[in-house]
Amino acid sequence: MLRKLTPYLLVAPMIGFIAVFTYIPILTSLDLSFHDWDFLSSHRPFVGFKNYELILNSHEFWNALRVTAIFTAISVPLRLALALIIASFLVRETAAARILRGAFFLPAVTSTVSIAVVFSWVFSTDYGMANNLLQSVGLAKVQWLQTPWLALAALIVVNTWKQLGYDIIIYIAALQAVPSELYDAAAVDGGKKLHVFRRVTFPLVMPTTYFLLVVSVIEAFQIFTIVDVMTNGGPAGGTTMLVTLLYRIGFNLFDIGQGSALAVMLFVLLVILAFVKSKILGQKVHYAS
Amino acid sequence: MLPRQRLLTFIALACGVLFLLPVLWSIWMSFQTANAYYTGGFEFTFDNYARAIGQYNFAQYLLNSIIVSGLVTLVGLIVATMAAFAFARFSFPGNDLLFGLTVATLMIPSHISLIPNYLTLANAGLLDTYAGLILPAISNGFAAFFLRQYMRGIPKALDEAAYMDGARPLQVLWRVIVPISKPAIMSMGLYIFITEWNSYIWPLVAVSEQDLYTLQLGLSRLYRINPGEGAIDWPLVMAASAISMLPVIVGFVIVEKHLVRGMTSGAVK
Repeated sequence: MLRKLTPYLLVAPMIGFIAVFTYIPILTSLDLSFHDWDFLSSHRPFVGFKNYELILNSHEFWNALRVTAIFTAISVPLRLALALIIASFLVRETAAARILRGAFFLPAVTSTVSIAVVFSWVFSTDYGMANNLLQSVGLAKVQWLQTPWLALAALIVVNTWKQLGYDIIIYIAALQAVPSELYDAAAVDGGKKLHVFRRVTFPLVMPTTYFLLVVSVIEAFQIFTIVDVMTNGGPAGGTTMLVTLLYRIGFNLFDIGQGSALAVMLFVLLVILAFVKSKILGQKVHYAS
Repeated sequence: MLPRQRLLTFIALACGVLFLLPVLWSIWMSFQTANAYYTGGFEFTFDNYARAIGQYNFAQYLLNSIIVSGLVTLVGLIVATMAAFAFARFSFPGNDLLFGLTVATLMIPSHISLIPNYLTLANAGLLDTYAGLILPAISNGFAAFFLRQYMRGIPKALDEAAYMDGARPLQVLWRVIVPISKPAIMSMGLYIFITEWNSYIWPLVAVSEQDLYTLQLGLSRLYRINPGEGAIDWPLVMAASAISMLPVIVGFVIVEKHLVRGMTSGAVK
């Protein structure tokens, strides 16, 4: 009898925690999104889809969606392209390649807040590294974090800098899995390096590219920390991302209903993307085995 | 070494330094007096670290981060290892379903739980406590998934022999499976620790009491309140930033291989 119960007892803590902190919250969010509630008052009237309507009719939501979409559309392809190029140089097992891999990967494990603070200095107007560089070549200072589109560009740079190493590591693993006979064959055929890259390497890392593409899009849509520290969503809403808006509605304005409605919308969007990812991942595992 | 190869190594190192320059520079800056910094000179000092730790409470934040990340890692590993063992080694009704539910948490964006988890902890009176920081971070579907895959690769004959000798399941887990799975458990431990050490949005939501700030929260607050007169005291802020990133950087340099294995295993087979 105890034998039969054993596996259930072993998984019970895991299932208990994910039930309380992951699955029940999904249902709670859905429920809260249909109610009008400011967290303090004792009554919580049911309002149907009103919260969703308010969100969809608000300028802030469309602005945040637009900003997040621009951020994603620029940062993701930038990351992947840079990562693939760098990875193809670092795939060999030389001492220099190993050191450089470490250097690129370091930011991926370093505290995001620290990085955001360091780059707030890099892009600060009066003593920052970026402006010092501009001045040393005779150009004028720029108000990086006080100009909406420049602030967004700065966030893209910082996020790329932080995440690049992860993409590089994944690409290196994929490149190492490419059978060397393929390169030998291409070399025998007299293929030029760029040609070999386009015809052999690129198609073979395509599954990895798809995987990283979806993962990075999911990640980009959830960006919060760098933004919160560096620009706090400003200037003039120029860097207000969807999660920044969610945090503001939920925890600054304490509009639990609208916050939950926005959370549910973000959730649906990201789950669709995650589903696409799992399809790709499933395919890739099959491809590799 | 051929000259060409030596040149390549040199170029590679230069690129690495250039890439990490903002961080290296910020660490350099943290050892310099504010006065010298703003007048363009350099004067070496530990004063910024002393002030961050003494005056701005970073010793407490460091302790909080160690407690929270340490407990999340320890309890998280125990929970994930037990679940992985059950999923890998027992066939029981519901195995596939429960494993599916566990792995599916990987696909679920955590921001959906932000408001409900805040309410749950508020109702339980756990806001502004260590428990409030720790509990929502315990379950780690990725660790359970990763460890299960690893354990499935261990020959079944090993635990069958142990059962023949009259061992109980927990003894098999502790004496047979855990020792063999040590590299995988280590990788996951590192991965959980670093993720938790760097986490920001949940402490931001769950804690308003200064004495419970984690390093990340303390650092972002220190940066926001501009401790200098009007202008930001950059050398001080950089010392605080270094305190928050150095433990992970040092750890990273020591155990890089384990970490890379942990991080890539989900993506590349």
